[in-house]
Amino acid sequence: MTKYLDLSIIEINELLKSKKIKPIDLVNECFDRIEANKSLNAYITLNKEEAIKTAIELENKEVDNILFGIPIAIKDNILTKDLRTTCASRMLENFNPIYDATVIKKIKEKNMIIIGKTNMDEFAMGSTSRTSYFKAPLNPWNQDMITGGSSGGSAAAISARTVLLSLGSDTGGSIRQPSAYTGIVGMKPTYGRVSRYGVIAFASSLDQLGPMTRNVYENALLLNAIVGKDELDLTSVEREEEDFTRYIGKDIKGLKIAVPNYFMSDIVSDEIILKIKEVIKLLEQAGAKVDYIDVPYLNNAVTLYQIIAMGEASSNLARFDGTRFGYSYPNPKNLDELYTKTREEGFGAEVKRRIMVGSYLLSGDNAKEYYDKALEIRDDMKKSFDKVFESYDLIIGPTTTTTAYKQTEALDDPLKSFMDDVLVIPVNMAGLPGLNVPVGFSKDKLPIGMHIIGNSFEEAKMYMLASYIENKLNLNLNPEGENHE
Amino acid sequence: MENKLTKEEVMHVARLARINVSEEEIERYQVTLKQLLDEVKKIRDVKDCDKELMFSPTTHLARTREDEVDNMVSFDEIKKNAPKVVGDYIEVPVMIND
Amino acid sequence: MNDYKTTIGIEVHAELKSNTKMFSSSKNDFKTRPNSNISVIDLGYPGTLPLVNKGAVELALKAALLLNCKINKRMHFDRKNYFYPDLPKGYQITQARTPIGVDGYVEIEVDGVTKKIGIHDIHIEEDTAKSIHNETTSYLDFNRAGVPLIEIVTYPDMNSKEEAMAYLERLREILLYAEVSDCKMEEGSMRCDVNVSVSKNDILGVRTETKNIGSISSVGMAINSESLRQIKVLEDGGSIREETRRYDEASDQTILMRVKETGNDYRYFPEPDIPFIELSDEYINKIHDNLPVMPNVLRKKYKELNINDNNIKTIIANKDLCKYFESFVNDTNPVTASNLLTGDIMGYLNKNNLSINDINLDISNLKKLIKVIDDKKISSKQAKQLIPVMLETGKDVDVIINEMGMVQISDDKVLQELVDKVISANQESVNDYKAGKDRALKYLMGQIMKESKGKANPSEVNRLLVDTLRSI
Repeated sequence: MTKYLDLSIIEINELLKSKKIKPIDLVNECFDRIEANKSLNAYITLNKEEAIKTAIELENKEVDNILFGIPIAIKDNILTKDLRTTCASRMLENFNPIYDATVIKKIKEKNMIIIGKTNMDEFAMGSTSRTSYFKAPLNPWNQDMITGGSSGGSAAAISARTVLLSLGSDTGGSIRQPSAYTGIVGMKPTYGRVSRYGVIAFASSLDQLGPMTRNVYENALLLNAIVGKDELDLTSVEREEEDFTRYIGKDIKGLKIAVPNYFMSDIVSDEIILKIKEVIKLLEQAGAKVDYIDVPYLNNAVTLYQIIAMGEASSNLARFDGTRFGYSYPNPKNLDELYTKTREEGFGAEVKRRIMVGSYLLSGDNAKEYYDKALEIRDDMKKSFDKVFESYDLIIGPTTTTTAYKQTEALDDPLKSFMDDVLVIPVNMAGLPGLNVPVGFSKDKLPIGMHIIGNSFEEAKMYMLASYIENKLNLNLNPEGENHE
Repeated sequence: MENKLTKEEVMHVARLARINVSEEEIERYQVTLKQLLDEVKKIRDVKDCDKELMFSPTTHLARTREDEVDNMVSFDEIKKNAPKVVGDYIEVPVMIND
Repeated sequence: MNDYKTTIGIEVHAELKSNTKMFSSSKNDFKTRPNSNISVIDLGYPGTLPLVNKGAVELALKAALLLNCKINKRMHFDRKNYFYPDLPKGYQITQARTPIGVDGYVEIEVDGVTKKIGIHDIHIEEDTAKSIHNETTSYLDFNRAGVPLIEIVTYPDMNSKEEAMAYLERLREILLYAEVSDCKMEEGSMRCDVNVSVSKNDILGVRTETKNIGSISSVGMAINSESLRQIKVLEDGGSIREETRRYDEASDQTILMRVKETGNDYRYFPEPDIPFIELSDEYINKIHDNLPVMPNVLRKKYKELNINDNNIKTIIANKDLCKYFESFVNDTNPVTASNLLTGDIMGYLNKNNLSINDINLDISNLKKLIKVIDDKKISSKQAKQLIPVMLETGKDVDVIINEMGMVQISDDKVLQELVDKVISANQESVNDYKAGKDRALKYLMGQIMKESKGKANPSEVNRLLVDTLRSI
């Protein structure tokens, strides 16, 4: 078996340019590794035939950019033309999109090669990837453990080194939390950075796509490729073009960093707090100024999430009604049965639960009583972040309260599952960018991640800090390797 | 105060969501939705700093498009994923009301 | 029974005359092959997002300004959630919190009394798909899904069917003249729901909603029958429920469709996929300054020009004709012009199923015709013959007059010769006239006209003949 996939993208790019390897070599190695790691269940659909065809076509093209010929895995809630897109749901088990999401167009323009569609929580609703209709992906660090979610398949695919790049989506931590659990770098960019056109919506005012990669530099490379204003997404933002790698390797001396006390409170396990404190010490030694501060409203994030995310989701998922696409209950007696049975059988338990919650919280007087209040607190939360960024460059803390836990741990405690995301949800509420960078391992040899939060559109600064930490710690993040202390 | 919703309240929500729910599920929702509501109610006690609402993180204004025809798809494309098609139409069980 | 007061509020949906749909770039045309003007956005495909049609927003703004509304300069959209196969996304994008216009009015006149009907709001939303049905199945055509609509909601300010009908006629005229909508009720591009309640005192009664009435006159009949029904229920000791009804023309009755659910649970919330839209003062002023003249203004002007009421009505009712008329009315004799347009020219157009825009009628030529008629160079009878030729050939009026030998004889000398000739040839009639028989005068006139091959100016001839007979 070749080992090209263990090289950096810069090295691979050199080999491709000098024709020492061809894209097909990378593609073949991907599928070999996917086969060897089949038990991880990281992928729902493989794009083997098409990927091989594309790789061969690329042999006649000039290597025109650093991501040329690089294999990428795509979360299965992002539409890929003529490649089955299921959202990990029975509802879309046989759905073949007739158009590409805007990010997919960008990926194809850069001549990246789509290897397959990754496993996830059904409709991205979950924190463990166990709500997938296609069964949960497993954590490459310990297959008894969850990958986290909802982008668990993308996380497992990168962590196990079956592919070089992957795309995830993050509504309430769905990129960062599984990245933390599997020891990879995951970025949720500023809301509006990446077009949502062609992404199956969960909660429209929170959803954002982002890169999930082995290291910080490659994460920034992929972000370079996918951002930009899109005429098809009115919430996408017009910004001057920038290179997100530009501060990588720069000195962090003088960087002003805030640590919200809430993020270091007793909701987080001691082991993780300790690890984060070690990193903070390193940063201070490097000349960064780190302050512990109070940030109001952070503790309301989960409640806001219940109201806003579930409300939007209940509306976004109304289109799955068995009439135009997707699962359709066969031979219904009447229209009502078509609707209620299609949705009963097409959606899994957690999705239905969330639709019920969202419908309930928007119904009758609840919308007036709670929804508006939630939007008000959301605004307050955003303003309290704004205030922090008046004095600080970045905010840090742990990404998760615990490390990855057992697959067998109870699924039916809804509050517990949201508590998994308690540290990451505020970022979605405020539309800010958030990033997970691995900072070490627990005594059970499970990855621990640090959460870096930037002000809107300051991803480059976040990469600067993340790459400093990455370099300084120099962890072995390949689950197959050693020295996981 | 009752510590669960009535069966009718749950059925109303299921009706709004167009999801068929079993008796067992109804019983469970009577409890869980009430628990959730009690949790959510606490938000009323949160002191706000102003009355402004945040619908979305977007701060720019909506771009508007020119009133020109573009980007249509043929019905043949739609047929690929449509459960039931007859001629030029998508078919559903007869619509009631109006 | 007469001490009941009827109160009426009206909701009108009008389809905007944009090229494309509200939230997609699909063609706005649903009178064509089913499912041929559709996109993944219109069908609510997973992953699709709405786009905002600038042209449709402009049309809605025009309407809001013409209805004297305050404009919400910073507006957004909301989602109204409900399931129905004609609503692809399971929600309708509409404006609940920030309608484009609020607190406007439309001025109506009934029996010479003017009244302002308050407009609660006017908001932008999207239309649903069209469906056809048989016993067991419905068939969906998404060409109409996403077509831009404005909904115009009045306050309960109307108290009779006459007021309601006058309001609808005014509203229709305004939207039509502003080219905001086609307003064809029979084709559904204007749809009307009527809320009716009755009460013996100042407290409003419980209202019912009668939906989708097919014409303005049916609205009048529906209000009549619904208020009578409500009065009867109350007089019989019953009470009125909030319910949705429809009007059946054949039986002249409103029929119960459904009792309103306890507060329709549409779960409105702000549409997160569309950022705020701001209408700048500069933009609003530009639209405002370019609004077309409205029919009520034209009506007043035409009255002042002494055009008769029938002609005014005909011209105003035909927007294209009115536009044509307006383009030269200040530069001609408006009375003759209106007579010609509403008379022989309309007659010709109707006979041939044409509109004024189809025939390219040269204004300077028409003005020439008006002048020769006013100068009595040709008779009205001759004009009748001339007009079809002019419309068909586009020839110059003078040329046609020459070719058809139509010049009227007004020369006194020539006419006197004719009079003398006829008198001397009809001595008997002259005697009859002298004996007081009026018929003789008509006979002599006829003879003279015949002698002139119809070209003699009749009033001149009449004057000369009477003078001559008197002098005999």
